[in-house]
Amino acid sequence: MALLQISEPGMSTAPHQHRFAAGIDLGTTNSLIATVRSGVAETLPDEHGEHLLPSVVHYNAEGGVVVGQKARMKASQDPQNTLASVKRLMGRGKEDLTLLAGHLPYTFAETDSSVPRIKTVAGEVTAIEASAKILSVLKRRAEETLGGELSGVVITVPAYFDEAQREATRDAAKLADLNVYRLINEPTAAAIAYGLDKKAEGIIAVYDLGGGTFDISILRLSKGVFEVLATGGNSALGGDDFDHAIAQWLLEQAELEQTHDPSILRQALMVARDAKEALSQQAAVDVQLGEWQGRLDNTVYRQLIEPLVKKTLMACRRALRDAELDKDQVVDIVMVGGSTRVPLVREQVAAFFEKEPLVDIDPDRVVAIGAAQQADVLAGNKPDEEMLLLDVIPLSLGLEMMGGLVEKVIARNTTIPITRAQEFTTFKDGQTALSIHVLQGERETVEHNRSLGKFVLRGIPPMVAGAARIKVTFQVDADGLLSVYAEETTTGTRASIEIKPSYGLTDSEIETMLKDSIAHAGDDMALRSLREQQVEADRSLQALDAAMQSDGEQLLNESERKQLLAARDKLARERENQNDSEALKAAIKVLEKAAEFYVERRMNRSVRDAMAGHRVDEF
Amino acid sequence: MSVDLTQNYFNVFGLPVQYEIDRDALDSRFRELQALVHPDKFVNGTDEERRIAIQSTGFLNEAYDTLKTPRLRARYLLSLKGVAFSEENDTTNDIDYLMQQMEIRESIEDAENAEDPFAELDQLRTIIKSRQQDVENDFRRSYEADDLEQARQAVLKLRFCERIFSEIRRIEERLDDF
Repeated sequence: MALLQISEPGMSTAPHQHRFAAGIDLGTTNSLIATVRSGVAETLPDEHGEHLLPSVVHYNAEGGVVVGQKARMKASQDPQNTLASVKRLMGRGKEDLTLLAGHLPYTFAETDSSVPRIKTVAGEVTAIEASAKILSVLKRRAEETLGGELSGVVITVPAYFDEAQREATRDAAKLADLNVYRLINEPTAAAIAYGLDKKAEGIIAVYDLGGGTFDISILRLSKGVFEVLATGGNSALGGDDFDHAIAQWLLEQAELEQTHDPSILRQALMVARDAKEALSQQAAVDVQLGEWQGRLDNTVYRQLIEPLVKKTLMACRRALRDAELDKDQVVDIVMVGGSTRVPLVREQVAAFFEKEPLVDIDPDRVVAIGAAQQADVLAGNKPDEEMLLLDVIPLSLGLEMMGGLVEKVIARNTTIPITRAQEFTTFKDGQTALSIHVLQGERETVEHNRSLGKFVLRGIPPMVAGAARIKVTFQVDADGLLSVYAEETTTGTRASIEIKPSYGLTDSEIETMLKDSIAHAGDDMALRSLREQQVEADRSLQALDAAMQSDGEQLLNESERKQLLAARDKLARERENQNDSEALKAAIKVLEKAAEFYVERRMNRSVRDAMAGHRVDEF
Repeated sequence: MSVDLTQNYFNVFGLPVQYEIDRDALDSRFRELQALVHPDKFVNGTDEERRIAIQSTGFLNEAYDTLKTPRLRARYLLSLKGVAFSEENDTTNDIDYLMQQMEIRESIEDAENAEDPFAELDQLRTIIKSRQQDVENDFRRSYEADDLEQARQAVLKLRFCERIFSEIRRIEERLDDF
């Protein structure tokens, strides 16, 4: 019980065990895994020495799955069965697909599920399952390198990912059998890597242009505290769009813009990608598509991508405004993501901030490295580390009001975790139910925001209009995930939901996928669950013993001590019994419940101790 | 909610209960307390600990947000004295002030079509900032003199300032989109 230890910083309660932890950058184009070894954070290579794992998954007719470079090589021969850039589909519903349809060569299956399914020769798959395959490869790479099982990971997501996209990422991790300590935002991870490396203080901006997403974050770095002041961006704008702009130009030049042939579209994209890379180094490049041959020079290229770069600068301006800062207060601009290698991007960013951006950190690896450093801290491997991350929600959360308007309950860029309640009332005499519709976004009307979920508070006793007091509480946890509760306070009628985004997988879908998942083939789930509970039980017992030994006398009276010891002994007996994970889980719960007041007492005392010396009468 | 954390926000940060605030002290104590209770410290903890950590951090964030935002701080000081608000419905009865606000709103709409809308809006923002400063001074005086009704009026006026700032912001964002 980590919390039970906080009032005794100098006293270690149990010898700390080093936990294997890793940071994962699950990218649109490439993915990486990094870990801290002997105090140094580094990305891990595969057996061929490659650090970047292309985020491509190929399914073949024999039911086999190939991930990475080999899968990418299949992309042009077998586009239908080769999933690339699936990050763009994470958390997206069927209606979102029409927006992306022009860019994707896949066939989608008719399905009742709200999650789109892509048809492959190996059956239907979701973006979540494909992402889980990528995560599994990285997990194996780390465990083989470290020689042990990973305790937990930090996975990065674009700051601008909404609720549904974050849930989808968590679901993918679950399928890959990873324990997720935390989802953190990519620019925040980059800021950690940069801040720890340069021992920087002050305001920094992280400009993160990846393959499929753009993020801008403004942070204040101060004595190990990384405080995100504002974040913004666009979860559907990235370097891939540069490729698409060039590909479109190629198709027009070759007079093929009417074609729907997926292999020609694929080829246009490949040529575009090569041309883009070449143009980072040279002024012009020869290109060929089908019968057509031509030359793409820098001037045309810049014209093609400039509107996209301008869009990113608008987001920068907005983020600065949100942070209530001027450009000249920014001490450094950290460039992240492969697309920041494009010279025009660097030039425009420098012109906007009136300062040269930092490009000396490998833009491909910095996110994974920051995530690994955070994972190491969260695992408890650095008890003396004074690092703390205070992140924000990227998009406002609100409720539907009369007339289809949205009332914001939590504004974007509010520090998380946050709990906020707002009171509403009934508008009709005798109204006994209230429909609660939770939305995410900045716009004023319901249809322009993303619907996160709906539920109904029933059983409100009939009263005159305006008499009921309905308290709706929003709680956002440290991963940026939301729960909503509603309560009629005069009578105590309650209703609540964990927000499951409208485009998320249902629990039963996840269960089915878990059963199907190769990660679990041959693995005895029951045994696994029992082992987990045993570890949990030991942890609880040790923590309680240590706490009671240190201050049980001061903070507990005789009968409280007896109560706690009884719960403790019950758990210890269940632990001995060795075979029933459910019973063990229940006994852990009982002990936790019984110890709750003690935990709070210790916590309060430690807060009081921390505040000692900062009393009101000082002033 | 854990007991000590339900105490008044000023006490949580060891600050005197008054409108004027030592922002540096608030910031540094906020970070100090966050470092103790933040859920990141309890990733390997039990569900119960994580729940308490989330609640405590949420409470701290709310307290910090309240104290650093002028209107919320003023409103909170009044709530400690038992003054109730229903801001959605209440409005100030100061007619002159309301007239001023209407003029500002018209200027904002005009600014949108100006040659350099961003400069116009910036200028309007400066005007509102100085008006907000006046209202804040008014609040401080009234509050110290225990003239709670006058202080309440000031809070309602601050709400207007906030609304105008967000209106300016909204227009800027709309302009950005073109």
